[in-house]
Amino acid sequence: MALRRVAMAFLILGVVLSGAAAEKFIVGTDASWAPFEWVSAKGQMLGFDLDVMRMIAVLEGYEIEIQDIAFDSIIPAVIAGKVDIGASGFTITAARAEVVDFSSPYWSSDQTVLVRADSGLNIVTALMPGRKVAAQRGTTGAFWVEDNLIAKGVAVELVLYETYPEAIMDLLAGRVDAVVQDQAPSEQAVRQYPGKLIIVGVIKTYEEFGFLVAKGDPKGILPRIERGMKKLKETGAWDNLVAAYFGNPLGVIEAAWEACISILEVGKDPVAYAACLAQKVKELSK
Amino acid sequence: MGEAQLGLPLPPLTLEHWLSVWSYLPTLLQGLSVNLALLGGLLGVGFVLGVIVALLEVYGPRGLRLFAAGYAWVFRSIPEILLLLLMWFGPAQFGLSISPFTAAVLALGLRSSAYQAEIFRGALQAIPTGQTLAARALGFSRLQAIRYVLLPQALRLSLAGWGNEFAVVLKDTTLAYAIGVVEVMRQARYIGSRDFPLTLPAYILVAMLFLVVTYFGLFLLGNVEKRLRIPGLEARR
Repeated sequence: MALRRVAMAFLILGVVLSGAAAEKFIVGTDASWAPFEWVSAKGQMLGFDLDVMRMIAVLEGYEIEIQDIAFDSIIPAVIAGKVDIGASGFTITAARAEVVDFSSPYWSSDQTVLVRADSGLNIVTALMPGRKVAAQRGTTGAFWVEDNLIAKGVAVELVLYETYPEAIMDLLAGRVDAVVQDQAPSEQAVRQYPGKLIIVGVIKTYEEFGFLVAKGDPKGILPRIERGMKKLKETGAWDNLVAAYFGNPLGVIEAAWEACISILEVGKDPVAYAACLAQKVKELSK
Repeated sequence: MGEAQLGLPLPPLTLEHWLSVWSYLPTLLQGLSVNLALLGGLLGVGFVLGVIVALLEVYGPRGLRLFAAGYAWVFRSIPEILLLLLMWFGPAQFGLSISPFTAAVLALGLRSSAYQAEIFRGALQAIPTGQTLAARALGFSRLQAIRYVLLPQALRLSLAGWGNEFAVVLKDTTLAYAIGVVEVMRQARYIGSRDFPLTLPAYILVAMLFLVVTYFGLFLLGNVEKRLRIPGLEARR
C-alpha cells in the first residue's frame, strides 16, 4: 500500500517533469466568441485565432495546447505563467501592454452597437443617459462605454457579463437596451437571431488585435509568431483563412473545418489547409 | 423601468430547438464522463484522507488530534470555488504546473475528506466502548481492535451519511468548469455560445442528466447498505 503510494507520487512527478520538457505552449482563449474562437457542435475548438495559432505552430515546429478560460482571466493566467500565449481577439491597449507583450497587429476592428430590431432605438437614443448598455467584462467595448460615455457625463448604466452570449440573451430578454461589442461577433449574433437583432451603428475605434505573451517574452515566442504570420501572409494562406471565417454561417465553417483539418494536423501543410478551408466554405455556402 | 424589471419573453422555443439540443447529447455525455471521473477521483482522495483524519480525531494522541481537527476545520471553512482557484493558481507560484483536472480533484477531494472525516468520526463514536474492551480482553491489540472490530462497523454505519456526501459532491464537480475543466457544464455553455437560442434547453438537458446519475448512484448505495446490513444488529427499515 505504502509502496504503491510512493510509486504514484513518482508517476505524478514524472508527468509534471515530462510536461515541462517537451516544447509545447499553452494557448489561452475564451471559446465563446465566434468567429474568432468557439466550440463546434461536435465539441472541437476552432476559430480564426485558433487556426492561426495552429498554423504558426506547424510552421515554427512547436506544439500547442488550447485552454478555454474566461476572457478576463486570460491575462492574469499569462502573468501567472499558467498560459504561454493569449489568443482571444485581444485589442492592443496601452494598459494591457504594461503587463504583457503583444505581437504586431493581425486584425483591425471597430465597435458596434446592437439593439433589438423592434426597439426603434438608433445609435443616439440607444446610448442616452439612463439606458442599460451591456458589454463583456474586460473588453474594449466595456472600456469604451466607461471612457467615452460614463466618464464624460453620459450616465448610461453599464451592465457587464462574463461571456458575450449572456449579454445577447439579456438584450433579447429586454433586461438591457443595447450591447457594445466588436463587429464580427455582432454580425454573428444578428445571423443567429434574424429579424430580432439589428446593428444600429459602428463606433470607429480603429482597434487592432494582437496575440500576447508574458512581459519580456521569457520563452522567446513572439519572434516565432511574427515569422509565422509573415509566412502565412506571403503564401496567401492568411487571406484564405479570412475568407473562410468571416461572413459565413458557423455550421458551414465547422463542416469545412472538419473536412480539411487533417491537412494541417496530419499533413502539416498550412497553405494547403487554408486553401481547402476557403474552397469548402465557398462550396458549402452555395 | 417596469418593462426592464418584468423583461420581455425570449423568442419562443420551438420543437426544432429541443430536437437540435438533443443532437448535442453525445457531447454532453462526453462532458458528463469527465464529471464522473472527477467524482471518482475526489471521492477516492476524500475517502482515504477522511478515514485517516477520523481515526486521528478519535484515537490519535493529543497533538495529532488537534491537527486532524484543524484540518477538518480549514477544509470545511473555505468556499469550494476559492479552494479550486487556490489549487489552480497556488502551485504555479512554486513553478509546479498541474492540470486543471488534477487541481480540481485535489481541491474537491481535500474538501470532501474533511466532510467524510466527520461522517466517519460520528460513526466511530457511536460504537459502544464495551466493544473495545471486549476486543482487548480477547487479546486484540489497540490497532487490531480498530482495524477488525471498530472500523468495519463504523464504515457500515457511515453509508447513509456517505450517500448524502456523494449526492453533494457529484454536483460540486460542475464547479470545476471555473478553472477550465471541460466538463458537462462547460459543454452546455459551449452549446449556448455557438447556438444562442439553445442556452436554456442545454441547461435543462444537463439538469436531467444529473437527476438520472444521482438516482442510480443513490440506488446503488442503497443496495450496498442493504447487503451489508447485519440482521438483528440494527433497527430494520
